[in-house]
Amino acid sequence: MKRLKFSDLLITIMIGVVFGITMKFWDDLYTVVKPMLPIARQLLYGMWFMVGPFAFLLIRKPGVALLASIAAASLSAFIGGGFTVLIYGFVQGLAAELLFASFRYKKFGIVVAGLAGVASCFAGFFLDLFYGYANLESWALFVKYGLRVVSAFLFTGVFAYLIVRALEATGVTNLIRPVSKEEYSLLDN
Amino acid sequence: MNNHQQNSIMQVSNLRLKFPGESSLIFKDLSFTVSQGEKVLLLGPSGCGKSTLLQVLSGIIPHSIEVPLKCDSIQLPESWGFVFQDPDTQFCMPYVDEELAFVLENLNVPRDKMGPLIGKALSSVGLPLPEQHILIQTLSQGMKQRLALASVLLLKPDVLFLDEPSSLLDPEGTIQIWDSVKEVAAEKTVIIVEHKIDHIADWVNRVVLFNDVGEIIADGLPEEIFDQYKQEIAEYGIWYPQVWEDYLVSTNFKEINTLRRQENLSRLKPQKTIIKLQDFRGYRGKIEKINIPQAEIDGGSWITIIGDNGAGKSTLLLSLMHLLRTTGQYELNGNLINLQNRKKSPPNELSLVFQNPELQFVTNSVFDEIAFSLRLIGLSELEIRTRVMSLLELFHLNVNEQRHPFQLSMGQKRRLSVATAFAHGTTMLLLDEPTFGQDARNTFAILEKLEQLRSGGTTIMMVTHDRRIVENFATEVWTIDQGKLVKMCASQNVSEQKREEKHCAGIIHTT
Amino acid sequence: MLELFTPHRETWLYRVNPALKFVVFFAFMLIVLFNQNFHFALNQLILYGVLVYSFSGYSWRKLLLFSVPIVISFVSSAATMMLFGKGVTIWWSWGLIKISEESFNYGLLLGFKTLSFGFISLVFLLTSRPILLFYALMQQFRLPSKYAYSFIASIRLMPVIVEELQTRSDALKIRGVHFPKGLKGIFQRLRMYTVPLFAQSIRRAQRVAVAMEAKRFQMGAKRTYYYPTTYERVDAVFVIVMVVSFASALVLSVR
Ligand SMILES: Nc1ncnc2c1ncn2[C@@H]1O[C@H](COP(=O)(O)OP(=O)(O)OP(=O)(O)O)[C@@H](O)[C@H]1O
Ligand SMILES: Nc1ncnc2c1ncn2[C@@H]1O[C@H](COP(=O)(O)OP(=O)(O)OP(=O)(O)O)[C@@H](O)[C@H]1O
Ligand SMILES: [Mg+2]
Ligand SMILES: [Mg+2]
Repeated sequence: MKRLKFSDLLITIMIGVVFGITMKFWDDLYTVVKPMLPIARQLLYGMWFMVGPFAFLLIRKPGVALLASIAAASLSAFIGGGFTVLIYGFVQGLAAELLFASFRYKKFGIVVAGLAGVASCFAGFFLDLFYGYANLESWALFVKYGLRVVSAFLFTGVFAYLIVRALEATGVTNLIRPVSKEEYSLLDN
Repeated sequence: MNNHQQNSIMQVSNLRLKFPGESSLIFKDLSFTVSQGEKVLLLGPSGCGKSTLLQVLSGIIPHSIEVPLKCDSIQLPESWGFVFQDPDTQFCMPYVDEELAFVLENLNVPRDKMGPLIGKALSSVGLPLPEQHILIQTLSQGMKQRLALASVLLLKPDVLFLDEPSSLLDPEGTIQIWDSVKEVAAEKTVIIVEHKIDHIADWVNRVVLFNDVGEIIADGLPEEIFDQYKQEIAEYGIWYPQVWEDYLVSTNFKEINTLRRQENLSRLKPQKTIIKLQDFRGYRGKIEKINIPQAEIDGGSWITIIGDNGAGKSTLLLSLMHLLRTTGQYELNGNLINLQNRKKSPPNELSLVFQNPELQFVTNSVFDEIAFSLRLIGLSELEIRTRVMSLLELFHLNVNEQRHPFQLSMGQKRRLSVATAFAHGTTMLLLDEPTFGQDARNTFAILEKLEQLRSGGTTIMMVTHDRRIVENFATEVWTIDQGKLVKMCASQNVSEQKREEKHCAGIIHTT
Repeated sequence: MLELFTPHRETWLYRVNPALKFVVFFAFMLIVLFNQNFHFALNQLILYGVLVYSFSGYSWRKLLLFSVPIVISFVSSAATMMLFGKGVTIWWSWGLIKISEESFNYGLLLGFKTLSFGFISLVFLLTSRPILLFYALMQQFRLPSKYAYSFIASIRLMPVIVEELQTRSDALKIRGVHFPKGLKGIFQRLRMYTVPLFAQSIRRAQRVAVAMEAKRFQMGAKRTYYYPTTYERVDAVFVIVMVVSFASALVLSVR
C-alpha cells in the first residue's frame, strides 16, 4: 500500500481542522439541546465519528482515518472543547482505522464506512465507562447507546459517503488518490 | 547533441503524461533539454501544458502530485526554486517574517543569521516593509507575489522556475521583479513561462514554442524564433514583442476604430449618467480603504482603473457592488441607495467578475457554469446549448465540456469566469483584471467582445495593469492612489488623437 | 474579537514552555478522567479553578464570560446522570425518572470532571500561543516537523476559509443563485457551500504542500528554528508548584 506523501498529510490534517471547527459549534449546540431532548441528541451524536472515515474515503490511504480524527480532536480541544476530546478523538479514530485495516484498506463502500462509525462508537463507549457517562439504568443505557449506533452508521456510512461522492464529481479526488495501474497503461495509447 | 548532453542541467526524453480520469494526453513523446546557465522562455497558447511541464522538470510531478507519466529518461536539477502562478497558495505561515524564516529553517540557517537575510530578501524584490511581522493576509495580491519571489531567492537555487510571476503586478512591480530576477539569476539557469514578454524577450537566450496540443514546434534564439515563426506565433495567438503594433493595424481593430468614430460624431446629446458618487468610502473592517470624493459614470463608457498593487482597485469594485461596508452618497439610475441598510443586496444592474475566478464557480462542469445564468432567465435547453457553445468557442475553451471548472489551467479558469459574466447580460459590467495570464489571442478576443457589449450600451469598468489596453480601448481612465481616486480623465482611445493621449500620458506611462 | 482575547497582564504562566505546559495539563486531565474518587475530584476542581481565576491574567468579567459554556455543560451532564443514573437508595421518583443517593453523587462527580476539563483547557488556551506550542513540541518533544507544519499551515488557512465563505456568498448573490424555502432549500444551500469549499480547501492544501516542498521542506530532515524555545527557571517553578498542589489535593482527599 502507498505511503502518505506530505501533501496527503497536509490535506488530512486540513480536513481534520475544518471538521474540528464544525464539531466545536456542533458541540455548543449539543450542550444546549442536551438536557431538553435526550433522544434527539443521541441521534446527532454520529457527527463526532464522521471525520476519520470521511478522510479515508477521500484519500484511501492507511493512517488517514486516525490522523484526521486526532487533528479534528486537537483543534476542537484547542478552541475550547476541552482536552478530553483529544483522548476521545484518538480512541475513536483508532477504532475506525483498525476497521479499515481489517478490510486491508480495499473497501470504500457505504457498509464499511458505516461499520467504521459503529466501531468508533464502541470505542467511545469504552471511555464513557471511565468518565462515568455509562452509569445509567440499564434501559437508559440501552436506549442511549442503541440510538448512538444508529446515528453513527447514518453519519459515517451515509452522509460521509455522499459528500465524498459529490467531491468525486468535482475531480479533486483524482489528484490525491493513489493512481490506478490502468491509468498508466492508458499512456501507451 | 553529445555536447548538449554533457552540460545539461535537466532533460527529459519521450515524456508522455495525462491527468487521471482524462482520456487525452497532455504530452506525447516530448523531449526537452536545458543546459547549464540557459535562460529559457516557454511560449504557447493558454492550456497547452506549460505549467505542467515546469512541474515535471522540477519533480513536483510526480513527487508531490501523482500524475500518470512515463519517459525514457529524466534528469532533474539538484537545487531549484519555484514561483507559482497563484499568489494565495504559496505560503504556509501566517506572518511575512515567519514565512521567510521557514525557508531558512529548511536550509538549516542559524537563527541569528535569519533577520538580516529576511530584510535583504524583502528589499531585493521591492517590498521593504517597515514592520516584517505583519499578516500575509493583509497584503495585496501583487505584494504577495513579490513575497513569494523573495522566499525563493532565499533558497539560492541553481535553477529558477518562474510560472507567470508578474501576471498580477503593477507595471512598476513587474519591472522591479524582472530586474531583480535578472540581477540574481545572471549565473543561474532560468525557465520562464510568461505571457507578457516585454521585459524579458531580449534577456532570455532561448525560446521554445509550443502549439495547442503540447508539441514543440520551434526552439532557438529569440530573434530567430520571433522572425522565422511569426506566422505560427500569430496563428496560435501567442504574445510577441510587436503584437500590439500588428493588432492596431489589423482589420478587426480598424473596424472598432471606425465604429467608435461614428459613435463619437453621432453622440451630440450627453450620455445618461448611471452612477453618481459623492464622498463615497469603502471599508475593510473598520479601516477606510477607498475614498471617492466625487465621480460620475456615463452609460456606454469604458472605464479602466489603474493604480499600484494594494491601491484599492479591487476594493472599489467590491464597494460598488455593496459587498463591503460603505458610506457616502451612491446614486444608481437616479435613485439614491440607502448605504446604511445592512442587508442590501448587490444591485441587479451591476455584475462583477472577481479577481480570483475559482470562487465564482457555482456548478460542476464548464458547460453548466455558463448555462447557469441562462437557465435562470428560463431559456430553452436548445437555445442554451447554442449560446454556451458559441461562448466556449469564442473564448477558446475547447476542453471537455463536462470537465469541472477547477481542473482548468489558470488562463482557462479566468476566461470561463469572464464568459459567465457575458452570459449574464447587465447594464454595467465590472471586471477585476480579466486579461491577466491570457495569451494574445484570448486577450484580444475578450477585449473585442467587451467592445461589442459596450457599443451595444453596456458600461464597462475594468481594472488592468496593461497600458496598451488603457490607451486603445478605454474611454476614461481612473487612477487610484493609496485608497483615493486622484485622477479621472478622458482617454479618447482612438490612436490618431495622440494629443489627447499626451494629456493623460503622465499617469499611464509610469515608467 | 481580538480585544476579548487580550489579557490585562501576562502572568508567569505565559512564560512557561508551552509544550511542557501542554504535557503536564494533559497528564492531569488523564488522571481526572480515570479518577472515581469524589473528594479527589472536588479538590482537583478547586485547584484548576484557582489556576484559571488567579493566574490567567484575565479580568474576572471576561473569565466569567468564558466560564458560561463550561457551567452549562456541568449542569447538563450532572443533571442527566442524576435523573437517569442507576442506584438503590431512592430519594425521589416520577415515571422513568428517579433520583437516588448513588446517582446524585455520580452526577456530581461527573459534573466536577466536566468542570475540571473545562478549566484546564481554558487556562492552557488563554496563556499559550499556538505557533509557539508547535515550535516547542518540535524542539522539546521531538514532534516530527511534518505534523507541526501541517497544523500550522492548516490553521493559517482557516481565516482564508472564513473569507472564502464570505466571497462565496457574495459570488452566489452576484451569480443570482436563489434557494427555495424549507428543507430542500437548506439541503441545497448546504451543498452549494460545503462541496465547493471542501474542494477548494483540498486543492489549496495540496498546492500549499507542493509550495512547501518546493521551498525545500522535507519530511524528517534536520532544521533550525526561528523561534527557539527552551526550558527556563520558570518551567521548574511551574512543575514544582503543580506537583505540590496536586499532591496536596490527593493527600487531603485520602484523609
Ligand atoms: N487537474 C487537472 N485535471 C485534468 N486536466 C487538467 C488538470 N490541470 C490542468 N489540466 C489541463 O491540462 C492542460 C494544461 O494545463 P496547464 O496548467 O499546464 O496549462 P498552461 O499552458 O500553463 O496554461 P495557462 O497559460 O492558461 O496557465 C489544460 O488543458 C488543462 O485544462
Ligand atoms: N481581506 C482583506 N482584509 C483586510 N485588508 C485587506 C483585505 N484585502 C485587501 N486589503 C487591503 O486593502 C488595500 C487595498 O487592497 P486591494 O485588493 O483593493 O488592492 P488592489 O488595488 O486591487 O491591488 P492589486 O493590484 O494587487 O490587486 C490593501 O492595503 C490591502 O492590504
Ligand atoms: Mg499555466
Ligand atoms: Mg486587486
